[in-house]
Amino acid sequence: MTEDRNQEARFTDEVLGLLPTTPVPGALEARILADFDRIAAQRAPSVLVRAFWRWRDSLWPGAPLWKPASVLALSLAIGVMAGVLIPASDLAASTSSDQQYAAADDPPVVNMAGDL
Amino acid sequence: MTGLDATLKFDPDTDLVARVGRGDRAAAQALMARHLPGMMRLARRMLASQAEAEDCVQDAFLKLWTHAGRWKPGRAKFETWLYRVTLNQCYDRLRKKPALGLEAAAEVADLAPAADAVLEAAAVADEVQAALRTLPERQRAAVLMCHYQGRNNIEAAEILGVSVEAMESLLARARRTLRTKLSHLRNP
Repeated sequence: MTEDRNQEARFTDEVLGLLPTTPVPGALEARILADFDRIAAQRAPSVLVRAFWRWRDSLWPGAPLWKPASVLALSLAIGVMAGVLIPASDLAASTSSDQQYAAADDPPVVNMAGDL
Repeated sequence: MTGLDATLKFDPDTDLVARVGRGDRAAAQALMARHLPGMMRLARRMLASQAEAEDCVQDAFLKLWTHAGRWKPGRAKFETWLYRVTLNQCYDRLRKKPALGLEAAAEVADLAPAADAVLEAAAVADEVQAALRTLPERQRAAVLMCHYQGRNNIEAAEILGVSVEAMESLLARARRTLRTKLSHLRNP
């Protein structure tokens, strides 16, 4: 039974192997591409959208839009949180310390008259 | 996901289809170069004439250009979808013009006796094609997928939208019919 099936399968392989190859005419390729051009022209996005896609592809090639968008959103959120959560007093302290350094860098004031 | 699953799910066309959806002509040409010859072979053997096969393949690509922007990777392999579309186009044409296939088969059958003494390659090929046309359309599709395009049963079953068991049954019946009709070509 199995041998019979194998023979039938081999026979089918052999007879279908006798079929000639099917040519793909150049005119058919041209027609298919013309269809593509027509549909692409109907759906052509604006210059701004295309520029955005190019920028997106240069930033993160081949990724879906949500990936670069989520990374940008995360960076923005971290920046905003840092701005909100770091106490203002720390900032003030660092600023006054800067001023001290600046004062130390000032040229010394020498009262020549007092020394005499 | 195991390595085997990942291999099975890997679809080499995903990137090209996404680019086609964004109107990338080079990607469209690359997809055509990859799939057009196979689709053409299938359509030509399913249908009665070269012109019909060309129209069928053109319509299948038209569907691709229209739907590429909405393609969701991971659901099905792109090639499976594309060949299923091609097959459905073939079925539509066969149902619209059922008489054409039979006429063509009869014409070729009349030529066979003339080539009785020395079976020329072209005449034998015509005979094989005529025998193929007598098969019911799903059996024909099954036998072409597995014995002409070299696909395994699982891939072919996915394209035809049937179970593997049903695929094997279609194949068995098609092989038996072909063997009966072409038994005189014992040493093809």
